[in-house]
Amino acid sequence: MARIVDARGLPCPQPVLRAREAMQKADEVIVIVDGPDSAENVRRMAEKAGWVVRLDGKEEGVYVHLVRRSEVQPETCEVAPEESVGPRVLLVPSETMGRGEHAELGAVLIRSFFHTLLEVEPRPDVIVFLNSGVKLVVEGSPILEDLQELAGRGIRILACGTCLGYYELKEKVAVGTVSNMYSIAETLLTAGRLVSL
Amino acid sequence: MEPSYGVVLVPSVSHALRAESLVRGAGIVCKLIPTPRQLSSDCGTALRIPWSDRDQVEATLRAANLDYEGVYPLLP
Repeated sequence: MARIVDARGLPCPQPVLRAREAMQKADEVIVIVDGPDSAENVRRMAEKAGWVVRLDGKEEGVYVHLVRRSEVQPETCEVAPEESVGPRVLLVPSETMGRGEHAELGAVLIRSFFHTLLEVEPRPDVIVFLNSGVKLVVEGSPILEDLQELAGRGIRILACGTCLGYYELKEKVAVGTVSNMYSIAETLLTAGRLVSL
Repeated sequence: MEPSYGVVLVPSVSHALRAESLVRGAGIVCKLIPTPRQLSSDCGTALRIPWSDRDQVEATLRAANLDYEGVYPLLP
């Protein structure tokens, strides 16, 4: 049974206060206000309190319909799951980490990052190397040993074949698998969590 | 119980890179790593070296006049 609060003609903040009062005594409240401003104030207060709000503008005033949210409301659940199903993917689209005029710093950051990957958790399930990032999987790469260690622990390493071809490094791949855009796109799209450097 | 590694703390990234180059040049295996959390440094990057080589590392850096804060044991 909805409780009706006629707040027309009342100055701010009366409509909100009266609405709140009614909300303590009922699961459904209809607040009638003069105009959209009051309606918005009531709406904001109610939504913050977790109630479902519906506005109905009529000639005589705006009807703000408030319904207390019950436990079972699957359609209105907005909370995203902490971790979705699917592999943890790390995308390395460059041989440097971050952007700036000094590639030297970016190179140091990448080395630091891959060093810490060995120590912190959770580790990625797959690491994808793209564009200049493919230089990191070939002979002479500053992170080769770390990548080999990660591969040894079961982490899949994919390097874009197009990129390796472009840099003429296909024969120098020292860790991981040469992959293609289908495989890479699929990996990125089905990732449960995707982190890109 | 002797540590396996030591960490050379330096004042900046460019010092770290120079140190790496000098130490490698001296034939010592080393690795640039983030400054370990338990150590405090002006710079977030440090150089990891075998603890047993620390004297030679320091001599190398001093010979090149490279500023460094010190060599500390790397504890797990």
